[in-house]
Amino acid sequence: MTHSLKQMALVLALVVCGAVVLPAQVTYQRLLNADHEPENWLTYSGRYNGWRYSSLDQINTGNASRLTMQWTFQVADLGQFETTPLVVDGVLYGTGQNDRAFAVDARTGRPIWRYQRNLPDKLQPCCGMVNRGFAILGNKLFMATLDGHVIALDTRTGNLVWDAKAADSTAAYTFTVAPLIVKNEVIVGISGGEYGVRGFIDAYDADTGQRRWRFETVPGPGQPGHETWSGDSWKTGGAPAWITGSYDAELNLVYWPTGNPSPSDYGGERAGDNLYSNSMLALDADTGKLKWYFQFTPHDLYDYDATQVPVLLDADWEGRPRKLLVQANRNGFLYVLDRTDGRFLKAAAFGQVTWAKGIGADGRPVLNTDLKPNPAGNRVCPGALGLTNWYSPSYNPDTRLLYVATSNECDIFTSAPQPYRVGHDFLGSVYVPDPVIRPTGALKALDPFSGAEKWSFPYFSNPNGGALSTAGGLVFAGESDGNFIALDARTGKDLWSIQLGAAIYSTAITYRLDGKQYVVIPAGAALFAFTIAQIAQP
Amino acid sequence: MKAGKYICVVALISAAFVLVLEGQENPVAGNPAAVQEGASLFRANCSPCHGLNAQGGGRGPDLTAGRWVHGSSDADIFRTITRGVPGTEMPANGFEDSETWAILAYLRSLAPAKSATVAGDSTKGEKIFWGSGGCSTCHMVQGRGGVLGPDLSHVGEARSVPYLIDSIREPSKELTSGMLDPNNHYGLPLVYDTVTVVTADGHKIVGVAKNEDTFSIQLLDTDQRLRFFLKKNLKEVTHERKSLMPAYSETMLKPAELQDLVAYLEGLRDK
Repeated sequence: MTHSLKQMALVLALVVCGAVVLPAQVTYQRLLNADHEPENWLTYSGRYNGWRYSSLDQINTGNASRLTMQWTFQVADLGQFETTPLVVDGVLYGTGQNDRAFAVDARTGRPIWRYQRNLPDKLQPCCGMVNRGFAILGNKLFMATLDGHVIALDTRTGNLVWDAKAADSTAAYTFTVAPLIVKNEVIVGISGGEYGVRGFIDAYDADTGQRRWRFETVPGPGQPGHETWSGDSWKTGGAPAWITGSYDAELNLVYWPTGNPSPSDYGGERAGDNLYSNSMLALDADTGKLKWYFQFTPHDLYDYDATQVPVLLDADWEGRPRKLLVQANRNGFLYVLDRTDGRFLKAAAFGQVTWAKGIGADGRPVLNTDLKPNPAGNRVCPGALGLTNWYSPSYNPDTRLLYVATSNECDIFTSAPQPYRVGHDFLGSVYVPDPVIRPTGALKALDPFSGAEKWSFPYFSNPNGGALSTAGGLVFAGESDGNFIALDARTGKDLWSIQLGAAIYSTAITYRLDGKQYVVIPAGAALFAFTIAQIAQP
Repeated sequence: MKAGKYICVVALISAAFVLVLEGQENPVAGNPAAVQEGASLFRANCSPCHGLNAQGGGRGPDLTAGRWVHGSSDADIFRTITRGVPGTEMPANGFEDSETWAILAYLRSLAPAKSATVAGDSTKGEKIFWGSGGCSTCHMVQGRGGVLGPDLSHVGEARSVPYLIDSIREPSKELTSGMLDPNNHYGLPLVYDTVTVVTADGHKIVGVAKNEDTFSIQLLDTDQRLRFFLKKNLKEVTHERKSLMPAYSETMLKPAELQDLVAYLEGLRDK
């Protein structure tokens, strides 16, 4: 019997015996049509359009008050737990602190395998030994690691399938991002904007780990945009790309946002706009070639990374249907762009903004030049952590609202030159929170086209967790004081909450198994899964 | 992103093996380039807690007073920087050795700040503390006293004389921080401000918040009792940026008495 015949016989035997149903392969087609299988959570944002929305409605406004914990899974490590788990056919896959990873039975939380990357002693991630999750294709999981590698693990065992070195971690190149699969490519973006890296976005062959393309987010000599960096500042220009982008299959464009120029708070030695820092990039998925870009914060002095998930919406704009891209940006403005060509359509502040007086008709900020960081310090809103940040927004097609976790913090920004040293901090000084007014936060429901606020649910502290919305009329959100909350998506009323005992640094996902809808949120060093205790069976 | 920098909890503890021997001296002491590098590192990494000029911030002590609570030798300070101070907000840091020495060179280069001389009599100050001043009603020293305000058992180590004077004459000028949530890496600690809650039946309770979140508050009221409330059951929760401690004017505490009291507080140390 050949190997394949043996496999077929085994499958047949198992199916006949009713023992198990082997999980189907996760094909690109399944990822494209992720909205057709809400029982699974197949990509970082749930769908390529960046909505983080689920059409599941078993948990809804009528029964959310009866949410009950179903299981907990302990990662057993310290630090921020930033993963977005994936769920495929009954198995939940997640990554953890210090590049741990795991697969658990999505019904019980019992682990199937655990993995931990053997990391070098000295790494320089700016903001913790974090990882935001896997991507999946076939029977491989893809993870971008803190030591600058992209790896593939076998879904069934956690065994390493391939390992590709992308960059040198001794020069502070690190990965924290959850990859994005497009066709047979694994797309990732580098971190290290606080250490003077030169940013890039890479695509790897999912089968072999060979690099297919690289887009350097700081153009080198001879490349368009290079002239936006004075002297040699481009070599250490930053513009990392540490949040998962979105994808439009029809246009075959990947939308990937970039972060701050380096050094983040001192611009004296990097005169110019500093392309493509703090930008939205539209890259051809097959070649990585730049189709268009839009820079939100040129020559940034406030650490306003544009690394927020781009939300793709098709809607009428000024009387004609248009493909739009909406982003609630860390700099405090919500932007609407035409995603076919990057044309700027509108921007509106969605909270307190002082660094700019507004956004001009050309999409450029009208700066409040009095508020440039200086050696003595200037109070600027939003603070360096932004009006929002990397945590996911959610768009709900039922309410037509965009849900954005926001931070109400202003900082005192100082500025001073700092010499670059390989692998070292490259910040150009520091910001400190306003010492008088304690930062707070809110989950806001915004009109995605005007930025108008529909409702706002206040948080006691500034958040680090985003939003999931569902067809059950709910928004799930976690805040920094450890509360996981279900809100009415239309009114913002809190219908249920639970204290999980540690700050939440991620955003919920949902799936369905055995006819039961689950909602999962990471907090502290654990995953918590909730269901409705008693569902009336049809 | 840099988000974690101001909290300084990049706890690369595993990298913080102390390879410095007792008695080892700073190899770059007084080196102008090292001082400059140290200033830059200090600004980026330490100033959020210790102040831009190292003269103390809301969360970290003054480092210019020539007083080193956790040991004053080069090797001691090297250890404090690399390992942190357990039980305090001072974290371990993942600097390279050369960077730690540069920071130390910078700190040593700072002339001691003009500190008020403590001319007072600490024995008299002790009597004021436990008697006429009423300080012990709210502050504890070595297990005795009240609990509404911060424990002052080691306050002489942590605070400079000017800070102590300010805390007595103008207690609302800078509010002391309370508990920091170790899970909330980008969060700030609560401060000893004045909190008033109004219950559903209109009853007002004033105190300091031991903790608070979106849905609840844990209050230590002015009778020094712990009171826990769900916000949904309250009419109002207000924070006023002022200390519950009275400002001790010169009529309440004469200049000489202030000196005595400060002399007592300044002497409250671990060793």
